[in-house]
Amino acid sequence: MNTTELLDQFVIEARECLESIGQRLLEVEQDPGNVPLLNDLFRSVHTLKGNCGLFEFKPLESVVHAAEDLLDRVRNRTLQYSDQLADALLDAMDYSTELVDQIERQGKIDETSAGRSGPLAAQLRALLVESPAADAPDFHVTSPASPASPNQAQKADWLQALQSDAANGAAACSALRYTPEPECFFKGEDPWRLACTAPGLMQVHVGTQQSWPEGDALDGLDCYRCNLVILLLSSATLPELLVHFRCVPDQIEGVDLQAALVQQADAVPPPVSPGELVLQRRATALWADQKALLARPGLSPGALAGAARSLRGLLCAWPEAAPAREALAALPQPTPASVLLAWAQQQRPELLVPTEATRSSTSTVRSSSSDEPGADRQPRVLKVSQDKVDRLMDLIGEMVVAKNSLPYLAQRAENVFAQRELAREIKAQYAVINRIAEDMQHAIMQVRMLPVGTVFQRFGRLVRDISKKLGKEVQLVIEGEDTEADKNVIEPLADPLIHILRNSLDHGIEMPELRRAQGKPAQGTIRIQARQESDRVIIEITDDGAGINAGRVREKAVERGLIPADRASSLSDEDAVQLIFMPGFSTAETISDLSGRGVGMDVVRTAVERINGAVELSSRAGQGTTIRLSLPLSMAVTNVMVIESAGRRLGVPMDLIVETVRVHADDVHHFKSARTTVLRGRIVPLRPLNELLALDADPLCNAEGEHAVLVVRLAGGNVGLLVDQFHGASDIILKPLDGVLSGLIGFSGTALMGDGSVLMILNPKELL
Amino acid sequence: MAIQYHAKHAALEGVVSVDEAEALQQWLRDQVLPAVHLGLCEHLHAAVLQVLLALRPKLIGVPLDHWLASALGLAPEGDPTC
Repeated sequence: MNTTELLDQFVIEARECLESIGQRLLEVEQDPGNVPLLNDLFRSVHTLKGNCGLFEFKPLESVVHAAEDLLDRVRNRTLQYSDQLADALLDAMDYSTELVDQIERQGKIDETSAGRSGPLAAQLRALLVESPAADAPDFHVTSPASPASPNQAQKADWLQALQSDAANGAAACSALRYTPEPECFFKGEDPWRLACTAPGLMQVHVGTQQSWPEGDALDGLDCYRCNLVILLLSSATLPELLVHFRCVPDQIEGVDLQAALVQQADAVPPPVSPGELVLQRRATALWADQKALLARPGLSPGALAGAARSLRGLLCAWPEAAPAREALAALPQPTPASVLLAWAQQQRPELLVPTEATRSSTSTVRSSSSDEPGADRQPRVLKVSQDKVDRLMDLIGEMVVAKNSLPYLAQRAENVFAQRELAREIKAQYAVINRIAEDMQHAIMQVRMLPVGTVFQRFGRLVRDISKKLGKEVQLVIEGEDTEADKNVIEPLADPLIHILRNSLDHGIEMPELRRAQGKPAQGTIRIQARQESDRVIIEITDDGAGINAGRVREKAVERGLIPADRASSLSDEDAVQLIFMPGFSTAETISDLSGRGVGMDVVRTAVERINGAVELSSRAGQGTTIRLSLPLSMAVTNVMVIESAGRRLGVPMDLIVETVRVHADDVHHFKSARTTVLRGRIVPLRPLNELLALDADPLCNAEGEHAVLVVRLAGGNVGLLVDQFHGASDIILKPLDGVLSGLIGFSGTALMGDGSVLMILNPKELL
Repeated sequence: MAIQYHAKHAALEGVVSVDEAEALQQWLRDQVLPAVHLGLCEHLHAAVLQVLLALRPKLIGVPLDHWLASALGLAPEGDPTC
């Protein structure tokens, strides 16, 4: 691996780390007591720092290092996770992302950006110093599992006192001794309440730090000096208990009883290294080889002696196998092959050697009792860059096209060369290749499938930042983030979704006071739901905000000259809210950095329609708005209808087609230059395709004098296209137009047909 | 006031806060045979609890809170979950 590859790898991994850090930071903010989450977060930051150290990226490293120190303190609970801290960390991560972008572009960090690392790191370090608990001692966690605890022998007295009168001690998971400091009452603490409300409390015992004074000495008793010691048993795990007592870390002492039990239970076999395992497996295989050799008839004495020597050698490798070795030596010399075979079959090397199965079972127990990540058991994941997968996709596309030429070849063999036999064989081969190619295509499509959650990830941050800025309280609920769709469908969604979220935050969710006044919870909810419905992915964004005011939308649309006033007033409320999808629409009075520039929902619609999706909007005033995106699972294969017009074959995407009908020429009504016809009681405008494509030919009729009409669905309603002939449907791989053709209007792309011809795919929306 | 001082006993009711500890201690010290009624007590502040533990007045009634009862040695034996 040369330096550039290493750098590429670094960028990929750094991005991954930053993404997960951003995600974790938000999660931790929700649940600051979650220890595994904190550990995970710390690990990500640590990995990132380690990676930075590999290269000379000092600015990046210094910031990440400061963040790591900070998180380490949070993790050890010597520092409280706070909003301020989260902001600082998120800032640091933003900066790091910027730096990684630069590294990717230029392979180095700009001087100007590097200059900002100092203040950022200093800011993080300042938080480190500021913390009031800075010098507070760590938790006194007496863990009998850790060999480092020297007081293992003396841990017992208070614990035993607690357990001895606990009939249910076995079910308890952890024990805790809480010794409140004498002045605790003056800090507003109530140790007793804290203890009573501990999670999973099973037993509680109240003792004294110093025995109570007797007789007249009772006069000297100060009831505001805490003299209590509270012992408790809990079914909750020790970390859960520690979280509960997080405010008094220096006053508690906890014991993880389960860990202690596990520790006693297994007589800990020494861990087997992977190398040892391989050796053992090899040895077992060798043993089996020797047996196979001995079982052969007519074995030469030399081979026999060799086999015996191998067996002895194998036994020497296992110290546990000493008795077996003696047994082998005790066999008569020279040993006949049959005797040696019988002996070898009696001895089971699997029994002498701890097998993989028993080993792995013990190691499972061990891993469940320890927190160490089981690195060797993780599923193997290969990191492949996207362009390699895209290339595979292109290749399989060509393969599909190439395979489609085989039926033509078969036809030629039969018709031109009169080789019927050969034609049949070609067809049989075609069937096989077809199956494999389809499987392959399916498999590669699976590789490109991404969970929609990859796009949703960044929304947590977005919602948090914007709602803070606006002074609103908003909760983001994401459901179904595992729903998968093609990467090309998922990725372009990011921007439209951000637009929608911003709109919901800015216009939808009301200020907390207003919400309370309307009887809604002060905290608004934005819900993103993703699910699969047959071959579409549905993403719904729902907010419980104010909804869209149809009257205001009408007003604004007229004001901006988007529709005439009389038409606006005739629209139903439901139709009126759809006006927000019109280009140039905005209801905001002022232009803020969030919205109001008039490039809003029409951009969303265009972006979604570009990936063959559809947007629907429904809104109820006072109750909220739902925006529903319906997207194709994959864009790789497009189903098209092949039509012919003026001698040219053209494709029309199937999802736009409503129906294909034959309309008699007499049923076509001419009004000036416009043509219409009536289909099922509705007037459908007709447009000759030749005219739209500027081809100088009239649409042809068939023998019965009927026109072929392709009815397509457009935003404004159905339109009939007059064409010459229909040629049926076909699955094609759509290649977008590029190069000099990229500016061409009216076509969405091209496809290679099986016979080698190029099919132009129409884009009726642009055409009409 | 969560503590009602009667002629022969003090009744601790509801949630007894930290402020009551000193008065209770004084009252218990002044009594010849101090007694407290806990039947309606939901929660005692730790300071009040330690006053009761130190002065060991006669206890009447079992507090509603099981943990409090067990801390005062009033819990029914062998039934930790009630």
